[in-house]
This record gives sequence, C-alpha cells and structure tokens, in this order.
Amino acid sequence: MERLIEILEELNPDVDYKTCEDLVDGRHLDSLTILSLISEIEDEFDVEIPTVEIIPANFNSAKSIMALIEKLQEE
Amino acid sequence: MSFFDLGFAFLFVPIVVLIFIIVPKKVKPLVLLLASYILFFIASKFLIIFLLLSTLSIFIAGKKLNKIDELKTKALEKKDIDKKEIKEKFKKKKRRIVLLVILFNIIFLFIFKYLKFFTININSLLDIFKIDYNFTIIKLVAPIGISYYTLKAISYVVDVYNGKIEADNNFVRLALYLSFFPQILEGPISKYDEVADNIYNATKVTYHNFCFGYQRILFGFFKKLIIVDRLNILVKQVFNNYTSFNGLSIFIGIVSYTMLLYMEFSGTMDVVIGTGEIFGITIPENFRQPFFSKNITDFWSRWHISLGHFFKDYVFYPVSLSKPLKKITTSLRKKFSVRTSSLVAGGIALFCVWFLNGLWHGAGYTYLFFGMYHFLLIFMGNIFEPIIQSICTRLKISRTSKKYYSLQIIKTSILVFIGEMFFRADSVSQGFSMLGRMFTRLFVLSKNEFYRFGLDFYDVILIIVGLLIVLFIGILKEKNISVREEIAKKHVVVRWLIYYLLILSIIILGAYGNSYAPVDPIYADF
Repeated sequence: MERLIEILEELNPDVDYKTCEDLVDGRHLDSLTILSLISEIEDEFDVEIPTVEIIPANFNSAKSIMALIEKLQEE
Repeated sequence: MSFFDLGFAFLFVPIVVLIFIIVPKKVKPLVLLLASYILFFIASKFLIIFLLLSTLSIFIAGKKLNKIDELKTKALEKKDIDKKEIKEKFKKKKRRIVLLVILFNIIFLFIFKYLKFFTININSLLDIFKIDYNFTIIKLVAPIGISYYTLKAISYVVDVYNGKIEADNNFVRLALYLSFFPQILEGPISKYDEVADNIYNATKVTYHNFCFGYQRILFGFFKKLIIVDRLNILVKQVFNNYTSFNGLSIFIGIVSYTMLLYMEFSGTMDVVIGTGEIFGITIPENFRQPFFSKNITDFWSRWHISLGHFFKDYVFYPVSLSKPLKKITTSLRKKFSVRTSSLVAGGIALFCVWFLNGLWHGAGYTYLFFGMYHFLLIFMGNIFEPIIQSICTRLKISRTSKKYYSLQIIKTSILVFIGEMFFRADSVSQGFSMLGRMFTRLFVLSKNEFYRFGLDFYDVILIIVGLLIVLFIGILKEKNISVREEIAKKHVVVRWLIYYLLILSIIILGAYGNSYAPVDPIYADF
C-alpha cells in the first residue's frame, strides 16, 4: 500500500491518498494520469490490468486500487 | 422531429403514461417498446428496419458469445490440456463475432452519414490526378438517432465480449435499451448496465415522479423557448454576415452560439431525463455545469458526458493499452519519467479519440478541425502541466485558490467559444477569418453595429435574465444543492407559485411567431 501511495504522489502530489475516495469521480486523476499509473502498477506489482477493469469503482481510492492489484495477482 | 414539439411532451408522453398505468405489469415493457417504435416510425418511417437490424444483430451476437463462453468452460474442465491455448482459441472466436457485428452496424452509419462526404472527396482526388471519372453523389436521409443507437449497440457487444455484462436473453429488454423513446433522438449514449434493467423493470408512475419529471421537461422548454430561439437570430446574423461586423460583435456572436448550443442540447436532455423520470427511470446526466471547468479535459468530462465516456472506454484505453503502444511506453520508461513515457501512447490514443469525435459530429472538415483543435489543446495541456505546476510553485501561486480557479474558468470558456466557432462556421477558412477579425477589428464600430443583431431590447433582457436563472441553478448544483428538492420543501403556495411562474413564463415569454426562427434539434443531426 505504501508503495502505491508513493506512486500516486509522484503523479499528483496535491491529493491526500489515504483519505480520498473520489480520485476519478472528483477528477483528481485524469485519463493520462491513469495511463501512467497503470504502467507504473504493472511494472511494480507484476500484473496486467485489462481495459475492462479501468472503471471509476476500481480507481476511486488507493484502497480500491490495491484491492484490484491483489485480485489480479491472485488470478 | 423535435422533443420541443408540444405534441411530444403534452400529447404523446401523456398517452403513453396513461396506457402504461392501465396495462398489467407484464405488458408495461411492451408498451414502452411499442411507443418507442411508433415514435421512430413517425420520424423515419420504414427506415425503422435499420434499427431492427441493429437490435437483431447484437441480440444474436450476445447469444453466440454466451454459447462460446459455455463451450470454453466445458473445454477447460477437461484434464491435461493447455488452458492458455484454449482460452486464446475461444477469445479469437469471440473477437471475430464482435468485429463482425461492429462492422455490420458501422456500415449503416457510414452509408447514411459519410457516403456523400467520402464520394465528394474521392471525386476531388480523381480530379487532382486528372482521372476523367466521377462517382455519383448520393445523399441519403438517415434513420433518426443512428449515431446514438449505433454507439449503444457497439458498447453492448463489447461489454459482453469483455465479460463486463451477461448477454441478454430477453429480446424486449435489449430492444428497449437500444430504442427507448426519450433517448432515441439525441441520447445520452448510456451503457446497457446503466439503464437496461431500469427501463425494463419500470412499473409505476408516482405523483412525485410525474411532477418532478414534468418540472424537468418544463425547464428544458424554458431554455429552448426563452433563450435558444432568440439567440438563434443573433447567431445567424453574425455568422452569415461576419464580414460586416467588428471583432466585439463577432465575439458576442460566438459566445451566443456556444450558449445556444448548450441551452439547446442540455434543454433536450432536460426533456429526455424528465420523461424518463415520469416512469421512474433514471437516465444518466449528460451535462454537469460545463462552464465551471478548469481546463478542456475537465470541460469534456462535463459536456456530452456519455459520448466522452464512450470514447474513453472503447477507444482511449483499448488503444493506449494495446500491445504495440504498451511496448513503446515500456521502452520509453527506461529513459523518461512515468508521465512523459505515457505521453506517446496517450497522445496517439487521444488523437484517435478526437479524430473520431470530430467525425462523429458530422462529415465535414469543420468537424474534423473541431476534433483536432481539442486534441491539440488537451495534449498540449498534458505536456505543459508539469511546467505550469513548477512555475506556480516557484511563484508561490496557489492553484487551489478561488482567483486561480476563476482565471481557469475564463481561459477554458474562451477556448471553448473559439472551438464552437469553427464548429458552426461554414468552412474552416471562415472560422479563421472570424478569428482574425476578432483581433484586428475588435472595436471598429460601424453604423448600427448592435442593432444589426436583429434583437430588440426586450429580447436581450429576456436572454440575459434566462441565462442568469440557468447560471444561478448551475451554481447551486455545483454546490450539490438540488433546486427541485429545495422547492419541494417549500410551502404548497410558494411551490405552486414557482411552478405557475415557470409555466406562464414559457407561455407568455416564449419566442413564438414569424419573427423568430425556431432552432431545429442540432444534436439530432450528428
């Protein structure tokens, strides 16, 4: 989780990722930032994020992103 | 056909509501489907066959995709098999079906919408190469809403392919999703999982929903009859005679056109969403106060939201995360930062999105220019974002301050006005010519400059008051305050006073008569 928050802070430092629950709906992460985030996550956590998983519910908080990573690691 | 024809909101809808209430629960979806097909038939006659073909194509495709999934599950149950190979084999089969169905639907869209444009361009090319042959130019009348229901059909099959939704075995539910009458003319292009069950399972018309629905419809009429049909006079004058106006007047003309477009499209959405609301159906919003946007990316997440979502989900991410582009991103990551390395893949995907967005709006160079203009603005915005961020940090400018936000809103709005000017212009060169006049002849006053707008003092006051009311409601919405909920809390006398004022203002102050030129539904032509 800490590594994920570090990645997110590198991309956009203006957000408190421990509490923010509307990263996509609140437009803190735009499409290009999400693209960078996916590339970084895939590298760091050795997973492949399919496009069908790129939905606001999976990217609205650091917690939901981590849950997605864990789900993909299990598959 | 327009949803602002009184016959739609005050005859067609009440009749459907009445029948919907009377019939047994099981028949209700059929009533909605029949109403949808009747409306389609009234507008497009036998071209309804294309809507039926689209519906049938995605219904069959969904069933086929389901069958393949079942066969895959059975195949995977066997022992001593290469699971990866089997999965890949079935994926290929599914992909073939999806591509075929997309192609089938796109061909109709191409024939009806783009054939003329392409024939003209091919003929021009033949002329350039001095080939003495010209194709006959055929201009066909398209079925209503083809640009909208085709995208809905594509989104359905792709979502089934991706396993995001289950294929629908109920033909009525799927047909209703594709053709639900409030959404058929101008969208929104909602996804299957957002609305299909909601529409199919609608059972009641409650007093609350009926009142709230008609309030929303009336607000749409207010925008159209008080603001749009008046602004249209000014817009026509300026765009048709721009060479005789000074820069300031042209600027007023392009601001008016953007407002006209917003009021017309969002007003139609009020009628659409309000009609859904009557039946207890929640149709997703297509606008969210776009003129409070801090940049162009933000603007497009607030304006025609459903189209933006379509392009993001079915073009931007699939293209930018495709294998070849992912390879490029990975190799760039070795030399550059995460954000910079994503710019190439993101930029290519963004280009595809905006090329298609321009083309979706119409077959013409002004629309393609409109798309490329936004591509450049968004792409440049992404490139310069880190630079702006570091400048603000150095100069200690707070990017979250109200002042900074206000400046962002003004900048974004001006960029939007210019984009819409090219969108409305007859040609790209007219757009540039108008832009040039805005800079070179800003205050060069000619005789009767403003009188030539074609509006009298009374019209101008009504437009301004109308826009201020919409702005006021927008500010409240931006603060998450629901105006209708607030009105509903008021005393019954105050409440009905507001409703009567709204109805009377539309009846008395609406732009009726020969001196006005009612605007045809702009987005229905896209």
